[in-house]
Amino acid sequence: MSTALRVEGLTKRFAGVTANDDVDFDLRRGEIHCLFGENGAGKSTLSSCIFGFYRPDKGEILLRDQPVQIASPMDAIRHGIGMVHQHFVLVPEFTVLENIIVGTQRSGWRLNAAEARQKLRGICDGYGIDLDLDAYVWELPVGRQQWVEILKALYLDAQILILDEPTAVLTPGESKVLFDIVRKMCARGMSIILITHKLVEVMQSDRVTVLRKGRVVATLDTPATTPDELARLMVGRDVSFTVTKPELAPGETILAVEGLSARGFWGDAVLKDVSFSVAQHEILGIAGVAGNGQKELFEVLCGVRRPAAGSIRFKGEEVAGMSPRAMMDRGVGHIPDDRFREGLVPEFSVAENVVLGWQRSPKYCNGPLMDREAITGLAREMIGEYQITTRDEHVSAGKLSGGNAQKIIIAREFLHASGLVLANQPTRGLDVGVIEYVQTQLLKKRAEGFAIVLASEELSDLFSLADRIAVMFKGEIMGIVDPRKVTVAEVGVMMAGRRGDIAASKERVSA
Amino acid sequence: MIVFERRMEANALWTLSSFIMAIVAGLAASAVLIASTGANVPDVFGALLQGSVGSPKALATTLVKATPLILTGLATVIAFRAQIWSIGQEGQVFAGAMGGYLGAQLLAGLPPLLFFPGVLALGMAAGMGLGWIAAVLRNRFAVNEIISTVMLNYLVVYLLSWLLQGGPWGETGGTISYHQSPMLPDTAFLPALFGSSRLHAGVLLPFLAAAICALVMSRTPLGYEIRGLGYNPEALRHKGVDIARTVSVIMMASAALAALAGAIELFGVSHRLRADNLIGLGYAGIIVGMIGGLSR
Repeated sequence: MSTALRVEGLTKRFAGVTANDDVDFDLRRGEIHCLFGENGAGKSTLSSCIFGFYRPDKGEILLRDQPVQIASPMDAIRHGIGMVHQHFVLVPEFTVLENIIVGTQRSGWRLNAAEARQKLRGICDGYGIDLDLDAYVWELPVGRQQWVEILKALYLDAQILILDEPTAVLTPGESKVLFDIVRKMCARGMSIILITHKLVEVMQSDRVTVLRKGRVVATLDTPATTPDELARLMVGRDVSFTVTKPELAPGETILAVEGLSARGFWGDAVLKDVSFSVAQHEILGIAGVAGNGQKELFEVLCGVRRPAAGSIRFKGEEVAGMSPRAMMDRGVGHIPDDRFREGLVPEFSVAENVVLGWQRSPKYCNGPLMDREAITGLAREMIGEYQITTRDEHVSAGKLSGGNAQKIIIAREFLHASGLVLANQPTRGLDVGVIEYVQTQLLKKRAEGFAIVLASEELSDLFSLADRIAVMFKGEIMGIVDPRKVTVAEVGVMMAGRRGDIAASKERVSA
Repeated sequence: MIVFERRMEANALWTLSSFIMAIVAGLAASAVLIASTGANVPDVFGALLQGSVGSPKALATTLVKATPLILTGLATVIAFRAQIWSIGQEGQVFAGAMGGYLGAQLLAGLPPLLFFPGVLALGMAAGMGLGWIAAVLRNRFAVNEIISTVMLNYLVVYLLSWLLQGGPWGETGGTISYHQSPMLPDTAFLPALFGSSRLHAGVLLPFLAAAICALVMSRTPLGYEIRGLGYNPEALRHKGVDIARTVSVIMMASAALAALAGAIELFGVSHRLRADNLIGLGYAGIIVGMIGGLSR
């Protein structure tokens, strides 16, 4: 097979940090080549050099064995390289067609929509991509917006396509479709660079290059390797996919929810008659496809959203309808699912974020002023204790990787909570190593006597962590099951809206 | 992920040189305009320099002129940092002067150490009332503060106009009715700092206010919340900050600063309530704030 692209000895430094160190990489024609590594391992830097966002400090990029200078994304596109970004760069108010042709016209100042439409039709038909070219981008679900980006690259005749974490926004079904179409592209001679930190996806590639701390650790033929080997190469040590959870007898009931309902912006019922309880030493898992009321449940429990009806008793006290402040003061910790929007102020430093919400606490104030020494001292302590990778406590939280940002939130919530932690998707988008770390921390809190409500879209997480699993569908709880007594498939059926009768019958059998 | 390679943080030298370049560019543009009228450019710039800082008297005048602009600039910075786009400084300046004038009637006869703090406080309170109205409109009815504050500006400006022209505060007697109130008694004049110069004691207040604002913004929990509100209100709401209350506090604090400008103009410069000398101070403050504190 011929080489589509080769990178030799590429080095890129940022203000003293070596993001890519003497990286060699080659992409064969017609293959899916995975760039695999933790956040901050240098995957994005490498692809940004290939796509012309960055100029490498050292090293060469060769296209079809010819050295090339890629000074800008425009250069990259001219050389037939396309990139689909993790965060889309689309104009929501434009249609699909407009988004694709705006800024990509090769000549003239008039948009030649008809010609573009024809070409795009051809591409869509050829690959079996089902997308309405005249739909406004804002109308499309996120998963379909990605197709606009891919279509744009195909429209520009990309021969090499870089996909940056393409499945982060996709449901399992959508990501299967994506892989099918990517395979078709390869069959037509395109080459794909797939950036991911999901092992399931790596296993679908042809070859994989593992990066760690900016260096290439290995380039392997995917069929010849195993997820365990890849995880070990990525993290640099053995990773246990299943954390060990000691058996603990539940203690006193911490949180009891009874008949809880809530309404959405348009008055629609987003939570319907939800009831459950969680005790000390207990993790209640919340399973469900995203958007089935999990977020609203957490918002009501932490006080951000008002319930329409029902009761929430925390340590025996009725707290339904209380403000976030009141809930925090009573000891409720909350790890929200959108960490950079709801959990942190990205522009604030790590130190400032560690006290977010507690900025008026006498612990962190010295008279009317905030006690800088106490706050930086605490931040340093937390950086050490939670292994937050940052230059120092003055760095803006927004500049940290998702995993390290999450650690700030966890550190802050664990520090100030007493009795209850609400964790919504705490491991979403994180690296294997960090996931293991977060899970261990949750189990540690469980051992300390906390009650924990944990929502996750990864059923494997819930099966290894939760003592009981409540399955949500369209704002209702379909049933609460014991993970030791049901299978993943049974929970899957409940997630699709079946009542927990299967699980119940199973329980009867085992009893 | 889109990553543009850029300077991580603007360093001090770069910031300073960009300021200098901007000033030079402004002067160059002025030079072209001046030259186009046939005037001698160096002469004009010389006169400009002479007239602004060339003599103690010129310097004093500059300070007096800068006083309200610094205050309305600070008012802008406080609100805009929190992403509250209050354009109400103009009306609040007027309200400050009007509150102060009312105070001068109510508190007449008090010793200066009580009189001046009292009238300035009343002026600020009048401004805060305006800020409070805009805050309530925003918090309770989701009225955009740009719209509410601009409309309130008209309301206040025309209220003063009515009060002075035919209303209870207009100067009566004589044959001509100017758009102004009678002169305040000279006990109500802010004392001069040096002898009989125009440099009234009010010029010290902007510096005090600026120092307090800097301290509040960088060191206090309120400043933390103001900055946080500007960056990410959603995270603040999740972490227990009462957003509506904070918005009210910010809008009232901002209004108090702008109103102080109006009150100082009344007691330090015009010594009578009139409309013309207040026009534009609030709007200019927005520009001052943008240049001084917000461009970063």
